Amino acid sequence: MDEQTPLLKKQLYEACEEACSSDPDRLFTQEDLTALDVIPPKDIKKLLQLIQILTNERLFAPVHLHSGLAWRLRPEAEAAKYKQLTSHDQVLVYEIIDAAGAEGAWQQDIKRRLNVQDNALRKALKELEAKRLVAQFTTVENISKKMWIKANIKPSSRATGGPWYTDQFLDEAFIEALQSVVMSFIKNRGSYLSKGERSARSVSPVLPKKGVINGAASEAAIKSKKRAADAISKDDTPVAPPAKTRKTIRLPLPAGYMEYPTTEEITAGIQAAEVAKGQPLKQEHVQELIDVLVWDNRVEEIRMGNRVGYRAVRIGKQNPSLYSKPGDEDFWEPRSNGLTTAPCGKCPVFDLCEEGGPVWAGGCEYFDQWLA
Amino acid sequence: MLVTKNAAELCALLVNEIYGQLPSRIIAALLARGRSNVRDLALYTSLNPKQVRHGLALAIQHNLVFYQTDHETAATTYEANPQASYHLVRVGKILDVINRKYGTMAKNLVNDLLMLGHVEVAELIRYHKLKHGRKKATLNGNQNHDHEHDLDLDLEDGEPDDPFNNDSHDVNGNGAGHSAADDMKPIQVDQVYDTMAQLIAAGVAETVSTTMFQSPQDLKASVEQECMKEFPNGVRGAKITAEFDGMVKSQIKAIGAERSITKRKLQESALYEPSNIKRRKLANGGISNGFAGDSGGSVLREEPNTVVRLNFDKCLVELRNQKLIEHAEDFVGDTTAQVFAALLASLCRKVYRCQHDQHTIMTEEEEETYFTGVRVTTEEVFDHLSPGIDLSTGIGTASEEDIDIRFAEKIRKYPPQIQGSNLHGTLDEGDEILGSDDEDYDRTGERPTGAYMNGHQNGSVAQNGTTNQTGTSRIEQIRQMRQHLLILAEAKQQFVRHCGQNEWTVDFGPLIQQLRYVELDTMIEDSFGRQGLRLTRILREKGKLDDKTLPAMALMRKPDVHVKMAEMEMAGFLEVQEVPRDNNRAANRTMFFWFFDEARTLKRVLDNAYKSMVRCLERLEVERYKKRNVLSVTDRRDVQGHEEEMLRGDVYTEYLEFLDIEKKLLSQVSRLDDLVSIFQDF
Repeated sequence: MDEQTPLLKKQLYEACEEACSSDPDRLFTQEDLTALDVIPPKDIKKLLQLIQILTNERLFAPVHLHSGLAWRLRPEAEAAKYKQLTSHDQVLVYEIIDAAGAEGAWQQDIKRRLNVQDNALRKALKELEAKRLVAQFTTVENISKKMWIKANIKPSSRATGGPWYTDQFLDEAFIEALQSVVMSFIKNRGSYLSKGERSARSVSPVLPKKGVINGAASEAAIKSKKRAADAISKDDTPVAPPAKTRKTIRLPLPAGYMEYPTTEEITAGIQAAEVAKGQPLKQEHVQELIDVLVWDNRVEEIRMGNRVGYRAVRIGKQNPSLYSKPGDEDFWEPRSNGLTTAPCGKCPVFDLCEEGGPVWAGGCEYFDQWLA
Repeated sequence: MLVTKNAAELCALLVNEIYGQLPSRIIAALLARGRSNVRDLALYTSLNPKQVRHGLALAIQHNLVFYQTDHETAATTYEANPQASYHLVRVGKILDVINRKYGTMAKNLVNDLLMLGHVEVAELIRYHKLKHGRKKATLNGNQNHDHEHDLDLDLEDGEPDDPFNNDSHDVNGNGAGHSAADDMKPIQVDQVYDTMAQLIAAGVAETVSTTMFQSPQDLKASVEQECMKEFPNGVRGAKITAEFDGMVKSQIKAIGAERSITKRKLQESALYEPSNIKRRKLANGGISNGFAGDSGGSVLREEPNTVVRLNFDKCLVELRNQKLIEHAEDFVGDTTAQVFAALLASLCRKVYRCQHDQHTIMTEEEEETYFTGVRVTTEEVFDHLSPGIDLSTGIGTASEEDIDIRFAEKIRKYPPQIQGSNLHGTLDEGDEILGSDDEDYDRTGERPTGAYMNGHQNGSVAQNGTTNQTGTSRIEQIRQMRQHLLILAEAKQQFVRHCGQNEWTVDFGPLIQQLRYVELDTMIEDSFGRQGLRLTRILREKGKLDDKTLPAMALMRKPDVHVKMAEMEMAGFLEVQEVPRDNNRAANRTMFFWFFDEARTLKRVLDNAYKSMVRCLERLEVERYKKRNVLSVTDRRDVQGHEEEMLRGDVYTEYLEFLDIEKKLLSQVSRLDDLVSIFQDF
């Protein structure tokens, strides 16, 4: 090793650092490294030597690709951590956990890959944990799995479950609250709130409606995010004062209406409303919420060319005047049919019911209750 | 109709409810054993052949049984007609719908038809006069009943085709007698004939021919046999087969044409001239009952021996309209539903049946309308709209730049396709998204929209007063009505299809399919909550899913999902498929795929509905038994109609209690029938 080598090594590492400044996860193949113009071209031997040194110093992490070997850069601070490791097992275990990154490594997996004794593995992990290099965590996908991750990074969103999970548990209350926000947003923007004012005076049937356009449905609200925000505020009192609520009904908008809110608009609305401060919701998350509402049969998709908007289903049945309690936005008249009602539709022993059997119509207590 | 055990039980119960035990037992035996002759039936029912024949005559009278006589052996076999038996549950609804659409007299006529089964026109009218002419005259109450009784016996004794009265003389004689007897409400024979003519022309009643007593399958078979004689060398090879099929088809067409001769004649007699309709409407304020021209009635009068019966196919169409209107009301709103009603009324003048299969016999005209679909223009719809509707209500306003007329008025030339479990192309598919194709939308809406906007602005400036200078004009109203139609066309269910410039149609098949989902969803949501509904709808949309993907999509906790899925599987709404990953088939090495088997679920639900109806009727029977002391008193002829005066206080309260229970049970049956209709008959 001549005196040139440490210098070259440093130069190569710095060149690599610079090359991957935009993309920290960039991988370097042999060609990439040659192309950095640090090593004299064709001097494969030198390159090999340098890579060997860098790898030994943990500044390069080898990665096996289908096309061959490549290296990823490891920051010096990270590399320094390897110096704290005292045993060979520790190094091996830490390498695996390090490579797994934010996804974390499953204890069983580490064991299988290293083919070590359980005791040795546990010892190594314990030592690593004591040095505050790794930490244990659980993933929402499988709570019983023992997962390990480097102590200084956070588990990936796949492992934590994204915004819907709080401490590995699905935050149902949060989801429900957000759903009702989305629902009321869609409802307000996609329907016409008739205050029933015109019914007081007998206006000619052909005169166009005089009802005050709901702030949320107006052009101004659509253009400015601010108005949209107070439109979805939970307390609906200014929009529908209780004195008049009896005649306040929602009406469908004319065909061809172009301003049914899209996912982007709903996302913006939620952000403006600041209902989910701790958890910044991205568009795809809001889309998930909307999809669920669609499957719940509360909202339907409506396409106008390339614009995919959403509007409430059965808008006429979602009357503010019929709210069970003020502010309860998610009210609607449930539908019913012959099989949802008493007595047979609700009967828990319907399958057993048979003339002459243990349960039969004549002696049926559900019928008794219903007919009484 | 799929005849399950429950359905068979239901048919027997319904027949029992209306026509008594004798035909009910025979029907039950026929449904259980299939096609039988009199001797076999006597064996199955433990009745003597005379009783069996008696019951069969009644059943045939009401088309509850088909019969087929073999030409060679001269042996007659009988087969149940479960559809007709089931239709009995809809009698009340049919009468209601007829009353609303064609007026009280039509309703009474249909009622008489239901009592008599098939009957000659002259006889029907005689009966009608007897029954309804004297109803108000309190004097002759008893006599009335006697007559009824006699008539029933006459009919039951068979020979329905035998003309047993000299029509004109008899009818006239009766008519004269009546007009003398009741001065309160004399029935004009002309009017009755006219109403009858109207019913036949509309298809609510149909003329009966001998072929109608055979089941459609038998009829086809006998036609085929007939045609076979033309081919002594047998039917072999493609060319001969085609020839044979063509022959059979044309023969069946001829039968269809023969059946509708009278109807055609009546339709031609200026009944459906638009001017005529308008005239009637003006005269009668919306209800098209009056039937101005007397030509229809006189046509019928010339052929008093024409045998008529109720045509349930057409009645079903009316009931379907009713249901669709209810759904439109539920999904969009009241005013829009009224517009939809007008559209359906004008559209369904040419729709004679809801469904058809390969055995359905149609005339050429029917076939044409069935397969190409019927369409109506905006004007026609408007003519059917009842004038009392305030068209300006029911739709919100939006500023004009928010409305894209190209989408609102988009024309969809082709009906949506039913694909698998999902309906595609409700709104987005069909023709490509506009792009360069400017002919794709109806421009009639454009100019009036401008005018409307002006109107709007005028209105808001001059808020009070200045009601309607531009207002009530026909053009303006039509424009408002179009808005409602457009909303119906835009709805996810696609109640209406805007199929051409100012032309509208309804794709009944896909629409009813949507309604099936709606009812199914209602049931699922009711039993398993919102989350259950969510899971099934995900599965319906995505197909089979394993239990890892599902919770993530539904945003639900895994254990919750499992509990819900297991619940729904138990109830038969979901199915699970196990795919083992290795030969051990251990549970932890097996993938579980959930899916929603739509056909099976529908069948199950349908059968559950039948069963539920059976239970209600059985319960009714039990309740009747419990109250038999009271009911035996109220059954007496002298008590009927005077219960309040004749009965002791406590007995009367008990009677009222029973009536309450009966009402509850029967209305539950009728609600269940709504479901059955949607799942099966519409």
